[in-house]
Amino acid sequence: MNPTLYEASQNLSHGASMLISNYVFPNDLHVHWSMMIVLYPYITGLVDGAFIIAALYYLFDVKSLKPIARFSLLFAFAFLCCATLPLLLHLGRPERNFNMLLTPSPSSAMAGFGYIYAVSMGVLSFIVLFVYRPDLVERGKNAKGFMKLIYRALTFDSADLSEKALALDGKIIRFLVGLGIPVAAVLHGYVGFIFGGVKANPTWSTPLMPVIFLFSACVSGISAIIIAYIIIRKIGGRSVDSDCIRTCIKTLTVFFILAFSFEMLEVFSHSYLKTGYHHMVEGLLNGPLASSFWLWQVKICSVVPLILLGCMAFITLKDSIYTFIAGIVSCILLLQVFIMRWNVVIGGQLMSKSARGYTVFHTEWFDKEGIVAVIIIMLIPFMILFVLGKIFPFWAEERKGGIQ
Amino acid sequence: MSKHALRIIMVVASVVLMAGVGFVVKELLIPKSFGLYGPYRADAIDEETQRVLRHGTNASCFGCHQYEATIHLTGNHKTISCEFCHGTYSDHVSNGRKIATLPVKKGDEITTLCLRCHNTEIKARSTMVIKTVGVPDHLKKQNVKLTHTCNQCHHVHAPLKYINEAKKITGLMEVK
Repeated sequence: MNPTLYEASQNLSHGASMLISNYVFPNDLHVHWSMMIVLYPYITGLVDGAFIIAALYYLFDVKSLKPIARFSLLFAFAFLCCATLPLLLHLGRPERNFNMLLTPSPSSAMAGFGYIYAVSMGVLSFIVLFVYRPDLVERGKNAKGFMKLIYRALTFDSADLSEKALALDGKIIRFLVGLGIPVAAVLHGYVGFIFGGVKANPTWSTPLMPVIFLFSACVSGISAIIIAYIIIRKIGGRSVDSDCIRTCIKTLTVFFILAFSFEMLEVFSHSYLKTGYHHMVEGLLNGPLASSFWLWQVKICSVVPLILLGCMAFITLKDSIYTFIAGIVSCILLLQVFIMRWNVVIGGQLMSKSARGYTVFHTEWFDKEGIVAVIIIMLIPFMILFVLGKIFPFWAEERKGGIQ
Repeated sequence: MSKHALRIIMVVASVVLMAGVGFVVKELLIPKSFGLYGPYRADAIDEETQRVLRHGTNASCFGCHQYEATIHLTGNHKTISCEFCHGTYSDHVSNGRKIATLPVKKGDEITTLCLRCHNTEIKARSTMVIKTVGVPDHLKKQNVKLTHTCNQCHHVHAPLKYINEAKKITGLMEVK
């Protein structure tokens, strides 16, 4: 639909005190996949990005990332624990998710996700346990009763901290991280695929979707790690490793350039190919999503960070200023990815299958999938992280010896 | 082999064992009739056929309501299901006997019912398929009181019955 027609329909509907425009099928009026389905790719994205940072250290030997490698693993684990929460909350009958796992149908994309999630959780759990084994052995020595049993289970009942044993652990960690990279990529690429596989929705149905989701996942995860690292260290009155921040920002820059390029390439391919429903996608981006896509996602949250990242790359900055800007850029990019998820998930549902009308999405505070529920779900991983921090020390310097 | 390496092998073995147990449990939990005809429980078909029918067809109603049938089948509403306006068949008839009276819509309820489909603002179908009106614009245009309900001019079973009869008598044609 061209913008003039869209405006006309908006005026028409405004006059009739309606919130929809033109002709929307009755079953398209309501946005069925709401904020929980925005959170779901956002959380798995954070897991992915955090895991990439850990992988860069443990597999690719990027030594400057050492201060945050262990924290990234725990961060990824805490968020992975909550990755399915939004989905389960979205379901009317959450207990039925087990049926999907019992009898996975090859024509059901979600059934596959359940298995990929389980593998991913298993791999990450073992990586964390092997990385922290020396710490757990130390703690287990002083523990008594039931806790001693727990520590024995967590250390695989092996208190052996000899060089040979640690070398074997190191090899296992490398193998598991190596295995974890494709698993993490598939986990999040699959999230993109779930949207890309919806043939009936012209904004989602593109093979670029998994790629876009994957790169933006890396962006959000790395940004989250940078912010969490800076904030937790500052609150604890500890120093921030500027080398580490610089490496993170460089990695973030690469992934963000790729993510943003693919986001724009998708719009470009829609506009160049002019497929059957192109007019709907164009009308969507220039109509209901004009503000959240072009203004917020592209101009404010993508172009501004690109300029800032450019400045950080080309201008020599003092460490404190560099860290400060790194925090700002990461915050904007976290918002960018969230808005991107919003524009894809909710934005994609604002157009009717009639190919003639658009609807609107109403955010609610106290709905089952409302803003309060979103805030609570986003707080749970941090609570898990807090509890994990009591057993698994976040920072490498807090312990001596063992796998670094 | 060191004790540590042995422990690792035991971990790997237990993971494999857990996966195996998981697979067995999965197989045990799958209902027996699953997959007989396709990716669903074949027993579900039998279970569904045992469900007590709640709805009837228009023919079920016309068996008794012959007078309404003659009007309904000649009007523009002939394809509309009786239950759509009157309610569920099984609330009225059970085992071929009347068990209760379905509520009859009166006054403003009638207008509300009509506007479920005939409201211009719904835009559910094109005007070629369904005549839609805006209230009170339509009442103003027809020069009737704004308190008029739809059934004061339109027969609910054959909406144009009275209108066409009036046209025949007066010879009036609608302004085009």
